[in-house]
Amino acid sequence: MSAVETQEYAPVFTGKTLERLQEILTRYPTKQAALLPALWLVQGERGWISDRNMVEVGEVLGLTPAYVKGVVTFYTMYHQHPVGANFVQVCTTSPCNICGAEDVVKALLAHTGAKELGATSPDGQWTVIEVECLGACGFATPVLVNDDFVESVTPERVPELVRKYK
Amino acid sequence: MTTLTIDGRSVTADPDRTILEAARAAGMSDIPTLCWYPKLPIVGNCRICLVSVEGQPKLLPACATKVADGMVVNTESHAAVENRKGVLRLLLERYPADHLRNGGRVSPRNEFEQYVVRYGVVPTPVAERDLALRHGDERPGDPMIRHDMSTCILCTRCVRACEDIQVVGVLDVGLRGEHTEIIVGADGDPDRAGCTWCGECVRVCPTGAIFEVMPRERFTPEQIRHPAKVVRSVCPYCGVGCQLDLHVADGKVARVTSPDIELNTPNQGSTCVKGRFGYDFPQHRDRLTRPLIRKGWSKQRGRWAWQGASGPDRRGGPWRTIEGEGQTEKPAGPPRAVGKSVRELPLLERLDLDIRDRGATPPSWYEPFREATWDEALELVAQELSRIKRERSGDALACFSSAKCSNEENYVMMRMFRAALGTNNIDHCTRLCHSTSVAAMQRALNTSAASGSMREIEEACNVIFIAGANTTESHPVFGAAIKRAHERGATLIVADPRKTELAARADLHLQMQPGTDVALFNAMLGHILARGLEGKRFVADRTRDFGKLRDSVRAMTPEVAAKITGVPAEKIKRAAEIYARGPNTSTLWAMGLTQHANGTDLVTALLNLMLACGMIGRWGAAMLPIRGQNNVQGASDMGAIPFVYTDYRTVKDPKIRDEYARAWGVAPESLSLNEGLMVTEIVKEESGVRGMYIMGENPIISDPDIAHAEHWFRELEFLAVQDLFLTETARYADVVLPGSSFAEKTGTFVNTERRIQLAHRAADLPGQARGDLEILIELSNRLGLKTPHRSAEDVMREIVRVTPSWRGVTYERLEGAGLQYPVPTSDSPGTAFLFDVRFPTADGKASFVPVEYAPPVELPDETFPFVMNTGRQLYHWHTGTMTRRAAGLDQREPTPIMEIHPADAAALGLGDGDPARVTSRRNSLTISCRISKRVARGQVFVPFHFREAAANLLTNPVLDPYAKMAELKCCAVRIEPVD
Ligand code: SF4
Ligand code: SF4
Ligand code: FES
Ligand code: FES
Repeated sequence: MSAVETQEYAPVFTGKTLERLQEILTRYPTKQAALLPALWLVQGERGWISDRNMVEVGEVLGLTPAYVKGVVTFYTMYHQHPVGANFVQVCTTSPCNICGAEDVVKALLAHTGAKELGATSPDGQWTVIEVECLGACGFATPVLVNDDFVESVTPERVPELVRKYK
Repeated sequence: MTTLTIDGRSVTADPDRTILEAARAAGMSDIPTLCWYPKLPIVGNCRICLVSVEGQPKLLPACATKVADGMVVNTESHAAVENRKGVLRLLLERYPADHLRNGGRVSPRNEFEQYVVRYGVVPTPVAERDLALRHGDERPGDPMIRHDMSTCILCTRCVRACEDIQVVGVLDVGLRGEHTEIIVGADGDPDRAGCTWCGECVRVCPTGAIFEVMPRERFTPEQIRHPAKVVRSVCPYCGVGCQLDLHVADGKVARVTSPDIELNTPNQGSTCVKGRFGYDFPQHRDRLTRPLIRKGWSKQRGRWAWQGASGPDRRGGPWRTIEGEGQTEKPAGPPRAVGKSVRELPLLERLDLDIRDRGATPPSWYEPFREATWDEALELVAQELSRIKRERSGDALACFSSAKCSNEENYVMMRMFRAALGTNNIDHCTRLCHSTSVAAMQRALNTSAASGSMREIEEACNVIFIAGANTTESHPVFGAAIKRAHERGATLIVADPRKTELAARADLHLQMQPGTDVALFNAMLGHILARGLEGKRFVADRTRDFGKLRDSVRAMTPEVAAKITGVPAEKIKRAAEIYARGPNTSTLWAMGLTQHANGTDLVTALLNLMLACGMIGRWGAAMLPIRGQNNVQGASDMGAIPFVYTDYRTVKDPKIRDEYARAWGVAPESLSLNEGLMVTEIVKEESGVRGMYIMGENPIISDPDIAHAEHWFRELEFLAVQDLFLTETARYADVVLPGSSFAEKTGTFVNTERRIQLAHRAADLPGQARGDLEILIELSNRLGLKTPHRSAEDVMREIVRVTPSWRGVTYERLEGAGLQYPVPTSDSPGTAFLFDVRFPTADGKASFVPVEYAPPVELPDETFPFVMNTGRQLYHWHTGTMTRRAAGLDQREPTPIMEIHPADAAALGLGDGDPARVTSRRNSLTISCRISKRVARGQVFVPFHFREAAANLLTNPVLDPYAKMAELKCCAVRIEPVD
């Protein structure tokens, strides 16, 4: 048990979010099993999952903070840092790579203003990351903007894409 | 039984054993292992233990494959060896090359490198490697434990040790693929993840990625790797009695490790932070190395005479009283390691620059003293003790013996006081500890010790009922065993006003108002009787006076108790039912119950509950008062209490007296038939005590009324103190004798489960300090009592002669796990649990003693609205004499704090670290606040380790009528911010 309980922290699981968690818990045999959806809830609420959030999830589900962190860091789709309003995932696995995914990435970075992969653009609008095969190898290069799937992206199509989401 | 062949040898094993276990049991311990570790869950992830099994196409992991009849195993087949080399080669890709000596060909530094050398694997040159090292940087840690993850091989032993042995779960595996690493909590801060600095992770790590810092800072790598000797000793702190291996270099303890996890020791290979890291106090610069005599004593014509000032200043000195210190300003607590890298934290060497080490002896305290020779000091002590005896009577003398000292020392001390000085005024800190338990157990069962063992809690009991014991902090190794029992499925019920770690974990937490335990237990009992859940056979066959009991609890229904205790009636009923149903319920308690002015009644109420349900006298149904000091049980067993000789044989019986007189070679009349005074009675004007001898106790901090005690000790005619340091008490002495620490003596200690254990001398005594036993033997002889003993073993031979239940004890038999007394004969294996057929009463039956609820002496009111509770912290020990001089421990908690609920703090405008003034009806002190939800609203908790904010200034010195225990756990206070 930690001796220091000082910093103000606004818990995620209150009100509606708590109700949703409780409803989710009914669907699982153990609390531990509900860890992934619980983390989704946090990410939905806060946009990303902070260390302190992980502690809260652990407290709520009876898991250790390290265990929660282990799970969060295992999956790439949980954000451990704040991300831009638009979250862009580009496939750079071999087939797409051969078809020029690297250039798509470069163009995306240039047009969104995000300095590097994983970083957020100064206007807070964009974060671009690389991901493994999106299952659309025939339509290289696929890009996921938030939940929208965009196929056959080329560097030339990037400015238009970026404009659309601004 | 299954029979298989391993490397050509026929081996039999249980069918549920693994190949590895079968091989090890047969003495073949050559199969290499990395992720496997005894008693940890098997994960089988390192693949170094793969062996060939005939008829199997692939190699099989020896650590995870069960044996089968007719199996033929080859542990060093070509394929197996090649595989091992491959495994090692892969691991070496990420292993710092400069860590290996001579390219990994010789001198392995750790378990992993041993295999590298054994299999002759050469690492890839650094320039040709693809992968970067893991965080070579030391990550957030502590002066006690640090992490250098560059050598981590991801065996996950540390994760499992923390999770499954300590049941804490600070560590886990994070990230994935080549980025995988061991993570600490969510944010890298062990504190926030609940780390208790137990060092279990250090012990299991095969590469030293997690390591102890202190030895490295003080000794050379060579001294650490090859200590001059490794000596088995017993931890000097709590009553669990962990066995420790002391590594000695340069005549000092360089490092402490715990004995092999598979050996049969009470700690099963664990220790807590105090045991593993609190070993450096004997080397503290404050250590007394020469006897001290108060200036003013001088020798004239062969006699010592006092020439100094008389009156109140006779025993003064240039220091503030404890009462005065209570008022001083306190620095806020230390900056915690949160989110900082180790490099930014103060190092140990810079000790005097920061607020740590505040418990150390101020130089001015030495001023009233001069250094003396042993001859002078002992002569003066002998002269004055004899003089007071002659001029007044033996009963004008008194002695505080020590629960920190060995059985032999306590025995010689009580022998000296009884036979040479003719008084039974000898007592020790048990008075402020479990005296009320002893009184209650004597009344009900005529016994003075625990009935069972710690092991049965872990292994056999179904329900664990804990009352007033913060076990994970006060007895951490036992606390971990309780948590393991809980994980195994035992039901845990905790009755405690604070939300301690166990309470938070418990299936039921009965969070009652302090001091209302009788109401709670009686209500549970009443409910059990109303439902007919009592142990009817047990009650009929083995107890007396049940009828009286039944009548006494009738009125205390759960509903009535709910009003008194604040625990909902439903919860009380559920707890009662679970307790009674068992089938094996163990009952544990500690200071939360005993340190009350009606402590005897509180314990009695619990014993009634236990007896009515028949929860004693079986393996799994243990009665365990958890003893505080490492030898508080032994000091009592040895008769360092005012009423009895060894084995609790009364001083009032002339026949018994004759027996001891014969053994000690004195006339029977020289032994007093009157019971002596107890600690709390001695420190009173009306006690008539004018001269005192104190060994290893610090009553000026631990007395229930400090302000009075400090005054009283100053008024004595003569005071001699035998201790390691110039303590708050020793500064008032006439003579201070420098004694020995645990590491510097051989002797035996009794733990909380009656286990007599042998500790061996490891370190050298500093300067002219002497062994405690040696001092007492010489003083006995000077007082005219023939004491020919030459060693602790000699003394033990005499002890067993006069102590029937220890008769079978010899030093030889104590090697290893020790013996749980009674050990009546030389072939008795000791007694793991007692009372399976009868109780040691006249008719063999236990008696019920009805007790009524009485409210605590002091209730909160408008002027004093808070209830203050006192107790122990994880990192400190009692009056702090030792732990505040142990660098690692002191670093954790260097300043006094008061725990207060966030809502109360907010209402008072107090923030974390803010100073507050706490005032009781008796006194006041300032202290800094620690906001914590562990205390309930309306309650505060103040640890009693700190001289500069001594909790016992505030406590209520009213005494228990039977055991003379003070009301230490409950007093009303007012809290105000200080600006
Ligand atoms: S020191 Fe103990 S509690 Fe802390 S991480 Fe290591 S095993 Fe866990
Ligand atoms: S730190 Fe040590 S025990 Fe833990 S996984 Fe790494 S090598 Fe194994
Ligand atoms: S490789 Fe890019 S979608 Fe499959
Ligand atoms: S020791 Fe068997 S797989 Fe690691």
